[in-house]
Amino acid sequence: MGDVAKLLADHGPAFWQALLLTWKLTALAFVPGFALGVAVAALRLFPLAPLRACLAFYVEIFRNIPSVALLIFIVFALPDLEVVIDYEHSVVLTLALVCSAFTADYLRTGINTIPSGQIEAALSLGMRPARVISSIVLPQALRSVVQPITSLLIALMLSTSLASQVPMPGRELTALVSKMGNDAAIGMAAFMVAAAMYVATGLLIAWAGATLDRKVRILR
Amino acid sequence: MRRTLEDTLFGAPSPRTRALTRAGNFVAAGALLLLAAGIAYRFHSAGQLEPRYWQFFAWPTTWAFLAKGLLGTLASAAMSAVIALSLGLMLMLGRLSRLRLVRWPSIAAIEFLRGTPTLLLIYLCFLVLPSIGVKLSTYWMLTLPIGFSTAAVVAEVYRAGVLAVPRGQTDAARSLGMTGTQVFFTIVFPQALRYIVPALVAQLVIVVKDTTFGYVVTYGELMQNAKVLIANYHSLVPVYLVVAALYCLVNYGISRASRRLGRPMH
Repeated sequence: MGDVAKLLADHGPAFWQALLLTWKLTALAFVPGFALGVAVAALRLFPLAPLRACLAFYVEIFRNIPSVALLIFIVFALPDLEVVIDYEHSVVLTLALVCSAFTADYLRTGINTIPSGQIEAALSLGMRPARVISSIVLPQALRSVVQPITSLLIALMLSTSLASQVPMPGRELTALVSKMGNDAAIGMAAFMVAAAMYVATGLLIAWAGATLDRKVRILR
Repeated sequence: MRRTLEDTLFGAPSPRTRALTRAGNFVAAGALLLLAAGIAYRFHSAGQLEPRYWQFFAWPTTWAFLAKGLLGTLASAAMSAVIALSLGLMLMLGRLSRLRLVRWPSIAAIEFLRGTPTLLLIYLCFLVLPSIGVKLSTYWMLTLPIGFSTAAVVAEVYRAGVLAVPRGQTDAARSLGMTGTQVFFTIVFPQALRYIVPALVAQLVIVVKDTTFGYVVTYGELMQNAKVLIANYHSLVPVYLVVAALYCLVNYGISRASRRLGRPMH
């Protein structure tokens, strides 16, 4: 315990900053990623074959590519195509793309749980298909995917660790610990502090997700 | 067979809707073609289509080298999966144990391994273990952290499967005079496995993705070998594109296989 106390006294502020950056990256990637995922899932419902094929391709690509490979491509290969994105934005873009593909995939499962009788009822009331999607299909699908999206958010939070693979100006938790490890033999304490911060954040997200799920879940 | 939601939504289009759909198809196809042309033009204008960036893909040695990398990826992934499946079983048994002395450490281990990024665990093996005298080869520095962190997730998957087996199965088996261990391993667990095959295969995809961190510890997997190729031929974009495609193909293949396995068995 003495190790941890000494470490926090010496590097406490650095750890807090790293934790805040981890949270910031998570939020910056999750919000646009989630919105994009909802848009992709909704657009895939329309009977436009080229669009559907293209979106299916998009989802399969970003679901199956390793995030690191995508990040390295964006950071090191895109400049050769004269597209230069700074490091922090590259990390956020990588995570948002991966997040959007998984969101679209989970929403598809949520959409499949909606009984088709509801669609028929809405259509027979004279609603246009686009209206049915936005006010019948999506709200119910969103309410049924709170749990998988919570897991996705936790996975996304853990994936911000790959920011340590690019020379970003700020350091998130994993980058901080690996930097400290490279500078001096730090022992277990620094790893334990970082791990505890990750675990606590994950438990916090899980708790918030479970609370939200209890509120909005539809019992069928 | 149940109609899909799309069929219900757009099943009986009016003439107006049909015309709209046709127009929409043209617009969508045109926009996508424009996008593809734009990307191709960007490749051309940046000089990335020059043959010197691509010609080495015609040499069998290049593919042999990439195949070696892929083999490294799969070797590490397979061992990680074995570790995850067996350690996950132990963690799950510990978590379901009635003894607090076994249950609480198991829960702590699961939450710790599940809640920490694999990359952090890799750095732990890479930076800290050598300083306390534990020397691991690069293969194990990559495989152990992936195996351990996946084991925690797999433990929770197992648990969900075991809890999903109807209680009456256990009661019936117990009333036939089977012991608790017998009931678990011959009645409950085999049924639980069938429920969770899709979730387990999804974990396998994540394991394959995680092995990409091999270049952190310079283990010769696909990503590391790609870096060597790039250093030799100064051809970033083509090599990374090919490698990304290889990863996608492997993972897509695994997912497809899981969809076949995941079909209900009757």
